[in-house]
Amino acid sequence: VVPGETALAFYKAKNPTDKPIIGISTYNVIPFEAGQYFNKIQCFCFEEQRLNPQEEVDMPVFFYIDPDFVEDPKMAKVDLITLSYTFFEAKEGQKLPLPGYK
Amino acid sequence: MSTAMNFSTKSFTPRPPDKGAFPLDHFGECSAFKERFMECLRHSGYESAACRQHAMAYLECRMDRRVQLMANEPLEKLGFKDLINEKSEEKPEK
Repeated sequence: VVPGETALAFYKAKNPTDKPIIGISTYNVIPFEAGQYFNKIQCFCFEEQRLNPQEEVDMPVFFYIDPDFVEDPKMAKVDLITLSYTFFEAKEGQKLPLPGYK
Repeated sequence: MSTAMNFSTKSFTPRPPDKGAFPLDHFGECSAFKERFMECLRHSGYESAACRQHAMAYLECRMDRRVQLMANEPLEKLGFKDLINEKSEEKPEK
């Protein structure tokens, strides 16, 4: 991935149970310091997503790395950035620490 | 969490996506486009730049659905400006 260029990535999620599940995901970027350069244009995160029993879906993320990344001396040795998502089951009344979105 | 002398660094808090969330493609309407994109990635040694045409096609598919899977947005604004110019050169009749 070239900093400044938009890129697409896919994750896949499956609901292996016999009941629909409503999940909500949040993300993490490693190394931690690279996170500030990670810009998401659109993704499936932070909103409740429903997966029906046995359903499997592709989950896209459309993003770019801030071009300032190449200017940051702390990032000079970083050639691998890992983006991970964790899905939580949405429960009624549960409040996840989400960034004031929606 | 950060130490006192952090004036110049931006701190990391999870941010919502610029254009919001993608609705799920429950019926796999754009799966074929996704497959072509993934094929391209595999062949190119996972070089994102080599497969931007396919990425663009996938996003176009999402926008074209009857039930939109992605809000219509000019592709130039999504970082595909150079590919659009190529495309219009190839197909002058469209």
